[in-house]
Formats: sequence, C-alpha cells, structure tokens
Amino acid sequence: MKRLSYLLAAAALVVCVILWMQRDAPWEWQLPGDIPPPSVPADNPMSKAKVELGRWLFYDTRLSGNQTMSCATCHIQALAFTDGKARSVGSTGVIHPRSSMSLVNVAYSSRLTWANPLLDRLEDQALTPLLGDNPVEMGLGGQEHRFGELLRSDANYSRLVREAFPRDEDPHSLLNGLRSISAFVRTILGYDSPYDRYLRGEAGALSESAERGMALFFSERLECFHCHGGFNFTDSTTHANSRVDRVGFHNTGLYNLDGEGAYPVDNTGLFDMTGEPRDMGRFRAPSLRNIAVTAPYMHDGSVLTLEGVVAHYERGGRLLEDGPFPGDGRLSPFKSEFVTGFELSDSEREDLIAFLQSLTDESLLTDERFSDPFQN
Amino acid sequence: MSAHRIALLTLAFLGTSCSQSDLGFSIPFAATWDGVPIDCGSSSPALTDLRFYVSDVQLIDSAGKARDIRFATEMPWQNDAVALIDLEDGTGACMNGTPEVTAEIIAVAPPRDYRGLRFTVGVPFRLNHLNPLTAKPPLDDSDMHWHWRSGYKFLRAGIRTENDGFWIHTGSAGCEGTVGNITGCRFPHRVQVDLPDFEPGHSSVTIDLAALLSGTNLDDNVASDCSSGPPETSCVAPFATLGIEFETGQQTGSQRVFSTQ
Repeated sequence: MKRLSYLLAAAALVVCVILWMQRDAPWEWQLPGDIPPPSVPADNPMSKAKVELGRWLFYDTRLSGNQTMSCATCHIQALAFTDGKARSVGSTGVIHPRSSMSLVNVAYSSRLTWANPLLDRLEDQALTPLLGDNPVEMGLGGQEHRFGELLRSDANYSRLVREAFPRDEDPHSLLNGLRSISAFVRTILGYDSPYDRYLRGEAGALSESAERGMALFFSERLECFHCHGGFNFTDSTTHANSRVDRVGFHNTGLYNLDGEGAYPVDNTGLFDMTGEPRDMGRFRAPSLRNIAVTAPYMHDGSVLTLEGVVAHYERGGRLLEDGPFPGDGRLSPFKSEFVTGFELSDSEREDLIAFLQSLTDESLLTDERFSDPFQN
Repeated sequence: MSAHRIALLTLAFLGTSCSQSDLGFSIPFAATWDGVPIDCGSSSPALTDLRFYVSDVQLIDSAGKARDIRFATEMPWQNDAVALIDLEDGTGACMNGTPEVTAEIIAVAPPRDYRGLRFTVGVPFRLNHLNPLTAKPPLDDSDMHWHWRSGYKFLRAGIRTENDGFWIHTGSAGCEGTVGNITGCRFPHRVQVDLPDFEPGHSSVTIDLAALLSGTNLDDNVASDCSSGPPETSCVAPFATLGIEFETGQQTGSQRVFSTQ
C-alpha cells in the first residue's frame, strides 16, 4: 500500500514536470517546410497561454465601448477574417472609409493596414481599432480602465493572465492584452490551399483550368505577380530570416477625379500619411490568399466580384462614367507601371479566376484553434 | 485665492526644488467665442471639445529676455515638460469628453518683473512618439493620441451650431520611420504663441474659437472637420489662424487664437 502511494506520487511528479516543461517549451510554429517562421517582436515572445488569452480577447465584445463589438466583428473566420462589407462599420454605427483586411498570415505582413508606412507591429496597430475615435471602431477610448477590471474580475481571464504573464508587475495592463491578441493573430496561418497542395506534389490538387490560370498569373503578360508575389502573394512580406524591409504601395488606377490622378479625399492612400504628391492613391497590395472568400474588393470595397477585379486590370485602370467619383483611372499619372492592361479570351479569364479560387485554405475557415471560444 | 489654489501653489513651490526666492504661479486658461465664455452647455455654438498640450513655456522679463519656467510635477495633468489643458467637462455637447477639467498650469520661476508669456501648443518631438500605454501622465491619455499617425494630438477643439459644426485635431503628420522608431515628421504642426502683455499672478490666457474658425464656413450644413492630413483642404483656414502654412505644416506667421486677459 505504501509502495503504491510512492508510485502514485512519483507518477504525479512526472506529469507535473512534463506539463511544466511544455509550458515553458519554445513556441513551435508547425509550418510547412517551405514556409519560413514569422518574425516576432522581442518584447512579445509567443506562448501557448498568451495565444489562448488572446483568442478569448479577440472574440470578447466587452472590449468595445458599448459592449457590442469584438475584433471578430470585422474579422470573421468563415470569411478569412474579413467582414464581407465594402466598408466596415464601427460599434457606434460610423462607417469606416476602408474595407476590413484579412488577418490570415498577417504575421508576415511587413506593414499593416491599407496604406500606413509607420505600422509594422500588430501590438501598435491594434490600438487604432480599439481606441481610435476618428472613426470610432471598437470605441474603448477613455474607458481603458475597464479593460484591467475585466481581466481582474473574470475568473477565466485572471487565470490566463497569470499563466501568460507570470513575471509581470502589472499583468492586467492593456499593453499585455494587446500583446496577447497579437500573439493569437500571429497564429492565424493557412498554407493548405489546393495551390499549396499542388506545390507539395499532390496530384490533381489543381484543376487543369486553375493550372493554366496559374501560368497566366505568373506571366509577364499579366504582371500580377510583381505586386502579388511570394508565398503570401503580396510584395509587403517579411519573416524571421528576412534581410531587407520589403514594402510596396501601388496606385492601380481605380480613381482619377480631376484628370490629375486625385482619389476621394478620405481615401488618398499613402499620400495621407506622407504628403508626397506621387503617393496619391498608393495602397498596399493585399495578400491574395483566400481571395475568393473576401469580397468585396479593393481598399474601399468598390469592386464586388473577382470578375470585376480581373476586368479592372484587363482595362489597365477603371473608368467611372458617373456616380460621385467619375474619371478614367487608366489615365492617372500615378498609376503603377505594372498596371498597363492586357487582353484575355473568355476561357483564359475563367482559368485565371479558377487559379485565384485555388488559393483558399478551406480548413482554416473552420479550424477550431481560431474559432470563437465563447461558442465552444 | 481659493484654498485649493494656495495648496497647489505650495505644492509647486515645495516640489520643484527651487531656491527660496522662486515665484510659484499659475497660468489660467479659458475658452471664449468672440470674447464670450463658451462651454459644453453653451448654445449656438456649444463647445464639443477643447483639449491641448502646452510645452516650452517661457516668461519674458521687462528687459525682453525669455526665462524658462519649471512645471510643478505633482499634478497628473503636467510633467516637467508638458501640460495638458482640458477645458471641456464631458457634459452637454462634449459627448466624447471627460469630467476632469484642468484649466491651469502650475509653475515656478525666478522672481522678475515679467511682461510676457511664450509657449508652444504641441508636444516636443523627443516626447511625441512614445507609446501612450507606457508614457507618464499627461502623455498617457489615449484621447490625445493618434495611434495611426504616431504621436499626440496637440489640440482637439470643436463646436456645434444648430445645424452645423466643425472639429479640428492638430498634430504632426507625414512622419517617417516606423512606430517606436520615428525619425522625423514632414508637417510638424506646432504653434508658438507669444503673448506680450502677460503678468504672472494677474493675467490669464484665452483661446477664442471664433478666431480659430474665422475662415471656416459654419453655415453650410456640413459637419466638416480637419484632422491635419495632407489631403484635407478643410484645414487651410483654421491652420492660417494658427499661423501654420498648410502646404508645409510649418508655422510661418503669428497665431490669432490665443490672447491675454
């Protein structure tokens, strides 16, 4: 009997040691072999506890000023973490000038949001949707104290905070909340689309049509890959082993209000940040991964379908004959040298769209690790 | 002088390790519309917001020499370099305001015969790009921070008329580098204010919003705004009253918004 007690105690000790080692074990990304690990800020190393805390916070409507909205309101998993709207709507009903961006693989984004050259860390970016007042998004500004109160008063949160920030003097800070949300968002990675499986040699992963579309996509005739290149289909990609800071902003000829290239005043892109005339209408090329589920398109959601997107690039710029913003974007002096237009046959157009549709990682859209923990 | 004021001045005096002869004083601020006091409960127009950072304060002595003053640091609305003046109380039309009002700077200076006041509306560059989540008061106020431009809002002011309104947020724009490593800003948007008739202990500073919005159309039924971005031509007129040239973001003239009472 005594011997059994010793054995049990020893077994319990072994289990404890294993659990403890797992807790402090270095983070593992679980990426396909050809995908490099993302870079992570030195002051916010990844950990399981932090990611779990971040997942709860990401889905918690108590983070908004009027308790109606969470990060997930504008970043819905089934839509590759976009919201399906042309322009996102804040917690108080204010319409944002721009469209919600996908968070999938955002850990690799060298810059964040549509046209901000200053933001290169999720921890800094998250302040704007949470606290910003122009426009109001989640609208927590002025009520930040409620965040600490929530972390202290909710039993689940106070346990997770202790695990995620065991050595922190002020573990319930908003800064730690943003670190946790950022850590969770960095785990939203998807590299299991038909295109990825094709690259890994899986026979039949791509349809013949998609395969022809892939050749078109990567051709000098269409030039798509100059801005939408690399493993995330965007030229603003960085990773842990990057040696250069790669960031690209491009004017694709969507607007030309005055014949001199002007964009609508609330959406001038990089120009709003730099004041450089040549930056008018330059926006960051978004990743094309999961593009089939992230309509409507462009920074302001003004193109409804993938067919519309392809038509825009075929023409080499958009012609708006009436409406509030008439003008011929093709003639914009600021347009990218790669948006020159091309001609496609009907079957080629179908092939190109079939390829774009092959970039969707269906498993990611339902992966439990990224789902709403309040619903499980 | 109220007991509160005496207590504050005593604190200022004790807290700034000044020599015994130093003078503790207050710089009071007040808001007007065309010379008439305005607050969140005023009608046509009502104040909707009025908060601003003040830095680089100097007193001008009778010989015309500028003397640095030292801010008391016991108050949460000022540190040794920056004070946050908050003239809205969150009531009435100040929907997004705060109940706290801080209408004065508490400071000490060597005793002299002072005749003027000089200060900057804005946060000095060396402090302007801190993380507001870790910065010390009063630079920890998220209402006063521009997360997406990096840096603080130097001035937020707004009014509402019966069917119109206008608000303005100033702050440096066109910044370069990345958040945490900002190397400079093309459009600094800082405003130096020179008030030649200011006597510490007797004078106060008035900000007149009618002067700020004197070139702005307040009858077009459009609730317009200026948030200091390069595309925003709505900023041209209010910038001009602050002495800022819209195209360069530099102060090239005298401001006409602040005055001495």
